[in-house]
Amino acid sequence: MALAMRRSSSELFGAAKWFIRRDCRVLSTVPERAEEATVSPKRERQVQSRLRANARNPNLSLRHVYPEFLPDPNPKWRNSLREKLERSDMLKRRSQIDIPEFYVGSILAVTIADPHAQGKTNRFVGICIERKGCGLRAEFTLRNVVDNQGVEVRYDLYDPTMQSIQVLRLEKRLDDKLFYLRDALPEYSTFPFDMDPEILPEGTPVPVNPVQVKLKPRPWLERWERQELKGVANIEEHLKEKDRVRRELRATPWEKYDLMKQYRKTIPVEDQNDIWAEVNHQLRQLQLTRKTTSRKRTFTTPKPQLG
Amino acid sequence: MNQAEVSKLVSKLRVKVLPRHRNLPGPKGPEGRIDKLRKTVTGLIKFERIELNYNRADEARQYAERLISEAICHGDCHKPTMDTADFWLLEKELVHKLFKVLVPRYENTKLSYTRLYNAPKPQYGRSIEKAVLELRGNPYPDLLNNKSNNKLLIQNVLLDAAKNEYRQTKIAEMAKNIGKKEGVTQNRDSKTNEAPEKPNIS
Repeated sequence: MALAMRRSSSELFGAAKWFIRRDCRVLSTVPERAEEATVSPKRERQVQSRLRANARNPNLSLRHVYPEFLPDPNPKWRNSLREKLERSDMLKRRSQIDIPEFYVGSILAVTIADPHAQGKTNRFVGICIERKGCGLRAEFTLRNVVDNQGVEVRYDLYDPTMQSIQVLRLEKRLDDKLFYLRDALPEYSTFPFDMDPEILPEGTPVPVNPVQVKLKPRPWLERWERQELKGVANIEEHLKEKDRVRRELRATPWEKYDLMKQYRKTIPVEDQNDIWAEVNHQLRQLQLTRKTTSRKRTFTTPKPQLG
Repeated sequence: MNQAEVSKLVSKLRVKVLPRHRNLPGPKGPEGRIDKLRKTVTGLIKFERIELNYNRADEARQYAERLISEAICHGDCHKPTMDTADFWLLEKELVHKLFKVLVPRYENTKLSYTRLYNAPKPQYGRSIEKAVLELRGNPYPDLLNNKSNNKLLIQNVLLDAAKNEYRQTKIAEMAKNIGKKEGVTQNRDSKTNEAPEKPNIS
């Protein structure tokens, strides 16, 4: 009985969310598109500039979809040969398994071979709260609430035991990392395991879900008030005067203008152009094959080889 | 292992960038460091050549390069770039200089926008490394005055004088030889006439 109750409530909630989403999708905007639209006529007179020509390379848009193809920006961990080999290995793995486009905030279903039971698989559904790592070590974390217990599973993107990654709902959130869902009310990270995939019409930009979560009262896992989060609604309710004072003291408004700090976190355009030129052709081919065979693709589990 | 940030695109700097920034120690910490660098970058854009401590010069150089490359990439109609220029240039007339003077100057160059020289330091005593930081294409005379093709260099003046003297002596010799040669040729003619007789004498 209790199970049925929980099931029905979650379904109701899911339906409500679906309605809310419909409205939001109309209003949502994609920031990088908006920035491109504000091109003034004055800029056009300096078309011949080499730097701008570099930055206008169409391949560069791949960086949002495949961020793990870019190497680590820390020069201590750079090795051009290793990076090249890793890229070719990643492409080989991508030709075996369909790794779709997804972002932090998307809802995924991951099927992975069970390491403790031969021939069996585990399926987990959850919201992607983090993507990190580069090259073959790229990983992502899914979060869901199962039986009132928050569960997070970290998956390697190029794990050979991974059997399928399915995007149930493709969208972005307002923040780059959604760790605050751990301290938010459980309804914000609860997703039914039998969720149906939502298919976006082709050519639409990835919608940004502007939902703002409500945090539980303190104690929290992190000092969310100092992180300038856009996706949290009620952070001020839980703060004392002391916390506001300390937030002011700890604020670093100059970091927004720290040009070298930004530079050390990114890969320059010239380097990116080389990388994308190397992998562009194969990635586009993979995208085409995914379009044609996405419906037909089936995953056959290897047969048990016992005696 | 970090993932590279993809929200912003930056163009590659043409100067060497250390893996980690240098702390510029002071009571105000990281904020003070940025304040110092703002002053230095403003001074560099204003005076185009400044002398200062090496560490601070090298740090400020990277920030100045980034600022100029941002200005070249995005132009003066890009709000974030304008904000950045407004933050880094403490004197607001320099924002106009950045976009109207420096951007056209460096738009098509393939070299770095600044140069950093090691400056001399006192021979004795503990002293901090000094450096001279300048923008390329500045109106001042060149600091590296070791051009071997400079006409007024003392070696070149002496060499020119020596060459001139050598040329004069050669001309004088040639002038002497002109008269002699005619005589010699006449003698030779007479000798050739007399030559068959000589063996007979011996």
